[in-house]
Amino acid sequence: MQPFGLDLDYVAVVALFCVGLYMLVAKSNLLKKLLGLNVMETSVFAFIVTAGMVEGGDPPIMVAGTSAPYASPIPHAMVLTGIVVAVSVTAVALALIVQIHAHFGTIEIDELKELP
Amino acid sequence: MRPWSLLLVLLVALPLVAGVATLPPHDAPDAPIHTQVGALYLERGVAETGMKNLVTAVLLNYRGFDTFIEVVVIFTALAAVLALPKGSAPLPKGNAPLPKGSAPVPKGNAPLPQPDAARSQGVGGARSREEEAPEVASDVPVSPVVRFVVRLLAPFIAMFAVAMLFRGHITPGGGFQAAAVFAAVFIALGLVLGQDRAARLVPVDWRPWLQGVAPLAFALVAWIGWRLTGAFLGYPIDDHTVQEAMGFVLEIAIAVGGGVVLARIFLEMET
Amino acid sequence: MTGPWAEALPWAIVLPLVGAALTPAVAVRHPRVSGFWAWGVLLVTAVLTAGLVSELVARGPFSYGLGGWAASYGIELRFDHFSAWVLPLVVLFVVIVPFSWRYLDHVMPDERRPPFYALLLLNAGGMIGFCVTGDLFNLFVFTEVVSLSSYALVAVGGRGLAAFAALKYLFIGAVSSLLMLFATAQLFVLSGSLNMADVSLRLGEIGGGTAVMVAFAAYAVSFMVKAAMFPVHVWLPDAHAIAPSPVSAVLSGMVVKVGIVGMLRIYQIYFGAEVLELGAFNLALVWLGAISIVMGAFFAIFQDDIKLMLAYSTISNIGYIVLGLGLASPYAVIGAAVHVFNHALIKATLFLAAGSIIHQTGFRTLSDLRGVARTMPQTSAAMAIGAVSIVGLPPTAGFVCKWYIALGAFEANQAPFGFALVFGALFIFIYYIRMLNAFYFQPPVHASVAQASETPWSMRGPVVLLASLCLILGVLGGIPLTFVEPAVLDLLPFWGQ
Repeated sequence: MQPFGLDLDYVAVVALFCVGLYMLVAKSNLLKKLLGLNVMETSVFAFIVTAGMVEGGDPPIMVAGTSAPYASPIPHAMVLTGIVVAVSVTAVALALIVQIHAHFGTIEIDELKELP
Repeated sequence: MRPWSLLLVLLVALPLVAGVATLPPHDAPDAPIHTQVGALYLERGVAETGMKNLVTAVLLNYRGFDTFIEVVVIFTALAAVLALPKGSAPLPKGNAPLPKGSAPVPKGNAPLPQPDAARSQGVGGARSREEEAPEVASDVPVSPVVRFVVRLLAPFIAMFAVAMLFRGHITPGGGFQAAAVFAAVFIALGLVLGQDRAARLVPVDWRPWLQGVAPLAFALVAWIGWRLTGAFLGYPIDDHTVQEAMGFVLEIAIAVGGGVVLARIFLEMET
Repeated sequence: MTGPWAEALPWAIVLPLVGAALTPAVAVRHPRVSGFWAWGVLLVTAVLTAGLVSELVARGPFSYGLGGWAASYGIELRFDHFSAWVLPLVVLFVVIVPFSWRYLDHVMPDERRPPFYALLLLNAGGMIGFCVTGDLFNLFVFTEVVSLSSYALVAVGGRGLAAFAALKYLFIGAVSSLLMLFATAQLFVLSGSLNMADVSLRLGEIGGGTAVMVAFAAYAVSFMVKAAMFPVHVWLPDAHAIAPSPVSAVLSGMVVKVGIVGMLRIYQIYFGAEVLELGAFNLALVWLGAISIVMGAFFAIFQDDIKLMLAYSTISNIGYIVLGLGLASPYAVIGAAVHVFNHALIKATLFLAAGSIIHQTGFRTLSDLRGVARTMPQTSAAMAIGAVSIVGLPPTAGFVCKWYIALGAFEANQAPFGFALVFGALFIFIYYIRMLNAFYFQPPVHASVAQASETPWSMRGPVVLLASLCLILGVLGGIPLTFVEPAVLDLLPFWGQ
């Protein structure tokens, strides 16, 4: 479905990206910011996977029961790599948030700003 | 704050929508993404790599170097978590090099956030900061039901991970998925049994090697490929047995290394 | 295959990365060994990169198809003139690591050294890969290795504020990496390929289009964040000031250059494809560069903390480089290219000297450090040389490149920007006069400053070496130019000149 020449699947991806960006920018809680970042990451992965799909496509696994057309295998490999990268970034961010909490006793930006 | 955030989001959204609006339609078979390299992989992949799952073929063979660097990224995350200061004790020899104001906040001096019920459940709130060594969940005993179920299911979940690992060449799955499931089993066990008993699953002497096993295995396979074919990370194109062996070494190393790294990151954050 | 050294291309990337993976195992009994291990690995890497550069000089740019696949079929590594930057990069790492051996004593307990050195090695390997890869997605993955290790390196030295600065850096850096991935995905959807040369070719066939422009904009914003240019520089001062000094030297001198190199790669793709009217973009670069120069210099004046001041000066110097690239006249681009290296050298000198002073006295603000030149004459002299150099006064390394950029501004009939450049240098000059005045001509106010001793040789050696390099390259400024000039003149067609 493409009203106004817009591919709605792609528009949904951009919407998800913006939701994540809003969470990252507007929320005061560091964990919520991190969740926003994860939403943004997911939106980009969804974009890549969506782009790799083909009308009526099967997964690119050449065993009995699948037939052409196949979805492109490259986006799947890219997204797998991207997910691992995202997990790593999330892990480091969580470790830093744990440190901030241990030191200041809060992870709210509003409260952190009031500390001396 | 809020209106500015909305404005920023709008500023980002408009060009992005304009960008995706002019992309080729995404599920058409004649889009460039399906006619260029991707089509060649679909056509020749099985013959060239000996793998029926072409995602695995791209991951380990055509774009194996990406995966190499990817396991390096996981290792980076572990090194990062290990390199951060632990707990909230002061630095060993004073904290002179820090700028003013970064000295540890004296306990009880800072304005305490009001720990309402929702927050202390959600993010830990301000509850644990008064404790010298915050022991997670020490005040909430693990329910015997949860403990029993986790212990009952753990071996089966681990079996599932092994199955994903070894059937990754013909079904969805593979090293990274297995690593995630392995780590999940470990973390679940750690939560119900306590860190110490879970940590004993991995012998101390092995840990420094197991953490880095995925990049090391990749370097080894890359070297073997270099000796066999003359190209870094090259697979002998007509010897499917050797190709399969190299692929399995990588998958197992990814599963073990990735699982150990994820579990170790969990342990480091807990203590 | 061209020459014997071409075979070493993937190993030059992989060696530091594998060295990092081995670090915890090597140092399992004696954590301090990790420092020597990292140094040894970097030394071997430096030899390999020197071989690669010799190959480049002898036979020109060369490629390596990983896995034996043809360039656009698998992943291609490409060693061209931009990639030659990896040699000075690794050499600077080799100089900085010995400094950190003793410096870390007051920063972290011994058991955290192996992961610290692993992170340094990962950072180095990631940057080598970033400069060498010819594949867009591979570029993203290397960016993440560099970024992730940088986030962590910022936070290793302290609690609380350090973690907060690192987290701020992480959030902004992660968004910029995501924009980069998004742009990569868009180019992939448009062209069906990830290989840079191939994408460039296909973009040329497609012609322009909104999606092509949006991808370019996303790349540009992403790399501006990495390079800490004016509107998106907010993460830099805190992060670079609070990191341990050897890390500050690496981050300020080299990691921000990832943004510059990345920008050049995207230039190559787009202008090779001739799908972009570059005039407007170059003008934007010139303006942003000029604003970065003046603003970084302006904020630097008001800092009392020496490392915070050095961090702001990095923003200003990145402004010089970007201004030079945007001016797009031969002199300006040559100056900018040389400044990529010279700024790394000068900033390493300054941060290591500042780190020595902080290490020995325990103070880090100008008002506390009065009179430090009396007790630490050699380190202070190095600081002074670095200061003169970064202002851009004649007998030092900084002069050559700023002179070229200024010449380029007049050459391109953009005289106002030439004046902005001189103006920025003036601001910086004011600050360093203040610093040198405090160090040399005022009596100490603290006993620990009055009784400070010079640093041990493992720390003083690198500082003295770097400072003398600043002088040598100032006197023999032609040497880097002879290397850079033909490369830049080769590449200038990309700028449309």
